[in-house]
Amino acid sequence: MKMDKKLTRCYYDVKDVKFGSEMSLEDGVLTVSKETLKEEVRPLLKAVKSVDFEIVKPGENTRIIHLLDTLQPMIKVEGEGNQYSGYFGDPLMTGSGRTNLLSNLTVMESAALPWDESSASSGLLYPRDAILDMTGPIAGMTPFADTFNLVILYELNEGKSSIEYDNEIRNIGIKTASCLAKVTEGHKADREEVFSVDEVNSELPNVVLVWNSQNQGPYSNTFIYGHPIDNLVPTLIHPNEMMDGCVVSGNYVWPAFKVPTYLYVNSPILLELYKEHGKTINFRGVIFGRSHNPSNWHKTRCAQFAVKIAQYLEADGLIMAWEGGGNAAVDGMLTIQCAEKHGIKASTITFEFGGADGTEGILLVDDVPEADAVISGGSIEKPYTIPDMDRVVGGDVLRLNKESGGYFPPSNKALAFEQTTHFYLSGNQSGASRLFAEEY
Amino acid sequence: MAKLRAVYYINQFYAGIGGEEMADTGLHIYEEKKGPALGIEPMWKGEMEVVKVLVCGDNFINTDEKFESILPQIKKEILEAQPDIFIAGPAFNAGRYGVACAKMCDYVKKELNIPSVTGMWWENPAVGMYVKDNYIISTTETASGMRKSLPKVAALALKIAKKEEIGPAYKEGYLPTGHRYNEYHEKTGARRVTELLLDKLYHRPYRTEVPLRGFEQVPPAEAVCSMEDVQIALITTGGLVPTGNPDKLKQAFAVSYGKYNMEGLKSLDKGVYESIHGGYDTTDASNDPHRLIPLDGMLELEKEKRIKAVFPYFYTTCGVGTNVETSKEMGSSIAEDLKNSGVRAAILTST
Repeated sequence: MKMDKKLTRCYYDVKDVKFGSEMSLEDGVLTVSKETLKEEVRPLLKAVKSVDFEIVKPGENTRIIHLLDTLQPMIKVEGEGNQYSGYFGDPLMTGSGRTNLLSNLTVMESAALPWDESSASSGLLYPRDAILDMTGPIAGMTPFADTFNLVILYELNEGKSSIEYDNEIRNIGIKTASCLAKVTEGHKADREEVFSVDEVNSELPNVVLVWNSQNQGPYSNTFIYGHPIDNLVPTLIHPNEMMDGCVVSGNYVWPAFKVPTYLYVNSPILLELYKEHGKTINFRGVIFGRSHNPSNWHKTRCAQFAVKIAQYLEADGLIMAWEGGGNAAVDGMLTIQCAEKHGIKASTITFEFGGADGTEGILLVDDVPEADAVISGGSIEKPYTIPDMDRVVGGDVLRLNKESGGYFPPSNKALAFEQTTHFYLSGNQSGASRLFAEEY
Repeated sequence: MAKLRAVYYINQFYAGIGGEEMADTGLHIYEEKKGPALGIEPMWKGEMEVVKVLVCGDNFINTDEKFESILPQIKKEILEAQPDIFIAGPAFNAGRYGVACAKMCDYVKKELNIPSVTGMWWENPAVGMYVKDNYIISTTETASGMRKSLPKVAALALKIAKKEEIGPAYKEGYLPTGHRYNEYHEKTGARRVTELLLDKLYHRPYRTEVPLRGFEQVPPAEAVCSMEDVQIALITTGGLVPTGNPDKLKQAFAVSYGKYNMEGLKSLDKGVYESIHGGYDTTDASNDPHRLIPLDGMLELEKEKRIKAVFPYFYTTCGVGTNVETSKEMGSSIAEDLKNSGVRAAILTST
């Protein structure tokens, strides 16, 4: 039977946000009731002691720190499943019907998660401070300098495990993003857009997006329909499922390389492929897997599985994208190699190294001769000085260099960094930003 | 307005002195224009002129002592001409001429502080030697492409002489120098990665933004045939350090390594050592440091006389995001230290 999966996105453009006693949306002005939101999340509070909220607007001289995930406020009003299906309900198939989105608005999570051994594991698995500036030299590294951001500030209870903090923070974020979008009910949308890949034009080349997400343990995790992607072999998901939030991020270990939930729901590459669907290509779907496979054997299997699914979809081309650093790059490169060897053309996007002037060492951790179409997401080894800021949301001090005993400079002052690893999304792995390294 | 001034370098062939038989001729100075120096001037439409032409035989200039001997005169002639730009070639795929052009440009730029530009085929051996610090216009392979290549040299030379900002390699036509800087593109990464795939699918020309470089081959050390005669060292890139990380090794992008004494120790204990590595869950490694530095197993082998001894120091760093140049430096420094200590073999554990 022919697939019939149409998702209508109803956009409610947010033009301003303010706090008030009742939740409402009038002429694009969103009024947020802190009390309503607090009431909504109160039953969830165990590891989290309390929450508060702050509004951050585009163009403000503001810095957001201790930043964890960022979500799209949305609500499913028609069709199977919920927004962020698998959370607060069964993991029902989504991607059809109607979903209301508060566009130009995000929900952000900010929490200073404990650094002690019991709650945050050592080594990789601790949340490195993620910094987002709404103005200045690093503002362009993130799409969220152009959006209104409702930041959830979490006060934590002591002595809980990393898994408890992590799950609760995420649940509160999803609950908040869903609750906010309820204000759209009964209002007429500013814009509507229908998304469908049902029609396949035999004259056009078939293209898939292959996406590998990070999964290495608590604080370095990704969830599909509410469950961690441990041991996941590449699987096929419909682009509309991803847009309805079937993939949720729980990855805070390297702010530069992470991909927040907002950028799965509004995946920039996925939306570009949708723009081309029916015109220059047939967009056939998203092949979703896990990066950071533990051994060469696992990496090879992952690459082969992804390409096999692409073959089933009669793909002529694929875009390879991944979350994470060098380990994930190996998975991505193996997939590109396998695809090209089987006659499927590939392009990819990744951050690069190269040192301050680009001439130090190699640019990529891994490469294969078949990867001959690589877009630069910018170099993470460039020095930047973030400027003084009038306002900081999230805390008074930054938390840096845990392995050397910690460094806690004031968060509102200028600070020089040798690399961009602490800047939210500076690795540009999802292609959201315009940052790249130019070749001189 | 006074015209800008260029000094030009060509070899004996382009100067009309002769071919291979005249390649040993020394330095000649001409006030009149010759070869490409004659052809290039009209391309500047009166904004710049060639005020002096330097000529040397390809063999002569490529002999180090001979080159040294003419440097004082080269310096004097160029400084006297007060040029805004120094131009050499283009050398196409001529190896000796290419090296001569690039060497002259490099000298003039670095020693005389005068900007320079040359041009050659991308596979000319001089490119690998000099491209990092010099503008080398990408030309055709042979001189039959002079008409195509010379205007590109002319355009960049004039731009540099006018002290205009020099754009990226592909726009200006020079071979990439390897220098790369972060900028904001007019299009998002997502748009560009999509367009790049469309170009491939529709058989249009496409350009990768990140050039791929192959890994170099490292020749393996000679095999150790009699283990019972050698002292063996233990090295890890897994980030094992004495608890508290006294030398402040970085957990990623490491620039240094640690060397720690284990003389007389029977084991590396939890709490005394820990891993600070930023690329994996270090819980197991910190709970049992032998997972990174297997001192326990090595002491067994020593007791059984299957090896002569364990070297009483271990070396450690974090292999995550560590750039290759730094890794090479750390590696050779560790290797030298081991050689000086009489160590003939080492086990490196990677994570």
